[in-house]
Amino acid sequence: MAATLTSKRFTARDEADAIEMAFDKGWSDGLPVVPPTEARVRAMLEAVRLEPNHQVGFVAHRAVSITAEKVAINAVMAGCRPEYMPVVVAAVEGIADPRWSYHGPGTSTGGAGVLMIVNGPITRELDINAGDNLFGPGWRSNLTIGRAVRLVMRNVCGSLPGLLDRGTLGHPGKLSYVIAENEAESPWTPLHVERGFRPEQSAVTVIAANGPHQFYNQLSNTAEGVLTTVADDMRISGSVMGQPTYVVVLAGEHMKTIAADGWDKKRIRQFLFEKTHNSYAHLKRTQRMSGEIAPADEQKMRPLVAAPDDILVVAAGGRAGAFSCYIPGWGSAKSSQAVTKEVKR
Amino acid sequence: MIEVLDPTTEAATQTIAYSPRPTALQGKRVALIQNTKFNSDRLLEKIGDILKAEYGVSEWRMYNKHNASVPAHAEIIEEVKKSADVMVAGIGD
Repeated sequence: MAATLTSKRFTARDEADAIEMAFDKGWSDGLPVVPPTEARVRAMLEAVRLEPNHQVGFVAHRAVSITAEKVAINAVMAGCRPEYMPVVVAAVEGIADPRWSYHGPGTSTGGAGVLMIVNGPITRELDINAGDNLFGPGWRSNLTIGRAVRLVMRNVCGSLPGLLDRGTLGHPGKLSYVIAENEAESPWTPLHVERGFRPEQSAVTVIAANGPHQFYNQLSNTAEGVLTTVADDMRISGSVMGQPTYVVVLAGEHMKTIAADGWDKKRIRQFLFEKTHNSYAHLKRTQRMSGEIAPADEQKMRPLVAAPDDILVVAAGGRAGAFSCYIPGWGSAKSSQAVTKEVKR
Repeated sequence: MIEVLDPTTEAATQTIAYSPRPTALQGKRVALIQNTKFNSDRLLEKIGDILKAEYGVSEWRMYNKHNASVPAHAEIIEEVKKSADVMVAGIGD
């Protein structure tokens, strides 16, 4: 016999009433949810072959154990299909990892979303969008997987806006912020392979992140030209002084231009690292760094990120258009690191 | 009728043993836990000085966390246990 589901049960007159109940009880992110009936929750658990009481993650800062049953309930509410559940579980493992350090990005006034980059065969199987309208609407998997993770943060970890989620501004990615890498067309090593997985494995990388910043370069047909533009845009962005993780998402046209010059991801990272330094004088003049400006401060330079490897390069976005984007991570890489977890099936 | 499952985690109860609170600060040693945010050291210094001047604490010492987003690390806790009677910790933006 299947293990008992131990969550408290509530009755509603019908589906519509159950949707309203979710709002009334504060379970929703502001959008209608799919009522989490036992049959739907069991289908989620069966998709990952996990017992309801299996601990997916433990958030030490909150002393909260996140069980498979709770992840499944929230995944149902988010509108996930059962086959999305392995990705949701891997992402929840990621945000519960001590390196991601839940309390900071889960609570901070800095308003981090959880950017999730999915790699490997599962992206094709689940039709996780890696192309046109990358961060926008249109794909159920992109919108419901991230929503499920945010509902877990809200309902299980207590990250309620205005209470233990104190984001001053937040951003739309806090509803769902899921992309896949365009491995089919990318000339580069996929992100998960760079981070220690095999190409045939599937994995999700979670990053505490601000919103995407789009940049435009229709002029240049060289790697250096395109990357000079993004470096100039990036140099003063995010928290500037925090040295967070950055994600650079290169869409079709830019990807082809850069690859045609023979640049790999390592070279892109190194170039962007070197070209995003700020002088101490500028940082002081613009009130980002404290202290009086000394003459030597004009030449003294501070990198935007602590190391080139803190810039994650991802190939994704539509084929047409001379646009790509960069995403500043939350806070600092010391306070929250990008974490990659295998999607187990 | 349909039945739905609660997506929230029911609070687990646990008993926390609080240290007894001192009735006065006279002669007590104070630890100030600094979260490393800009100006937090200056604010805590001020608090330490007021505790000395107006409440008669014998001394204060400041400890720096690794960063603002994590709890005080073990070395701080161990050191404070040995060398302080009272601590001031907080976070604010």
